[in-house]
Amino acid sequence: MTPASPLGDVGATGEEAAAARLKEAGAMFGRSLHIRTVDTGSCAVCESEIRLLLAPHYDLHRLGFFFTPAPRHADLLLVTGPAARAMDIALQKTYDAMPEPKVVVAVGACPLGGVYAQDALVHGRLDRVLPVDVWVPGCPPSPLALLQGLLVAVGRLSAKVGGLSFCEGAPL
Amino acid sequence: MALWFLRGLRRGVVTTRYPAVVDPWAAKLPSPPVFVPGHLTAALADQLVALCPSNALAREGTHLVLDVGACSGCGRCLEAAGQAARPSGVFELAATSREHLVKRVPLKGDLL
Repeated sequence: MTPASPLGDVGATGEEAAAARLKEAGAMFGRSLHIRTVDTGSCAVCESEIRLLLAPHYDLHRLGFFFTPAPRHADLLLVTGPAARAMDIALQKTYDAMPEPKVVVAVGACPLGGVYAQDALVHGRLDRVLPVDVWVPGCPPSPLALLQGLLVAVGRLSAKVGGLSFCEGAPL
Repeated sequence: MALWFLRGLRRGVVTTRYPAVVDPWAAKLPSPPVFVPGHLTAALADQLVALCPSNALAREGTHLVLDVGACSGCGRCLEAAGQAARPSGVFELAATSREHLVKRVPLKGDLL
């Protein structure tokens, strides 16, 4: 169990810790995963895309993924928005209420630090508040991108973006 | 009975087969740009950095740094860059490390 950490203590960080968490989560949740979403000041377009995962075209349930309203039932925390400071306590309580092992997924350009700089109202990046395991870019990420992010989080797909260069002539 | 169910029966299965099969239309989604170093001059790079609304682009000496995580796929750099950029069409961008999303593109004349 993670002890109740003071706000701002991001817990275990670093790639090795994240990889170990993902491996454990993948072994445990590969076929059944419950997701809790938290909106930390998002414009709600990410929520709109997340909601589309339940539509017949994407049909999240076929992969064994479910949304749950209770953090105590959740294995994965899907966070949108730029980590508004007004949501600090709610976010920390949600995170603390989730049983171990747990995975945090940052969704969209806001929690990845693209849209808002750190200021009096927002942290600007989610990893300043919680240890983030998977980053899903996009503004908003399409439901397919979210599906890939979720599958990466449980180890059913590998993250490919590290090998891409976004430079013509190099592998893409 | 919901009409979408009857329509689905008439047209066949509508559920995507991702991740086994990637939907062909996914390549047309807004996506981060791919830069062409042969056309990317330093002046153009500075212009693109100033244009980017989400601070996804930065200039570091002889390289243009693209932060895929910060990119909102707005397409302003694609409009301004002409031949120097095109849409990547990549949507599978999830990363387990934030650093994996930061890409460095060499500028023209600095090809290794």
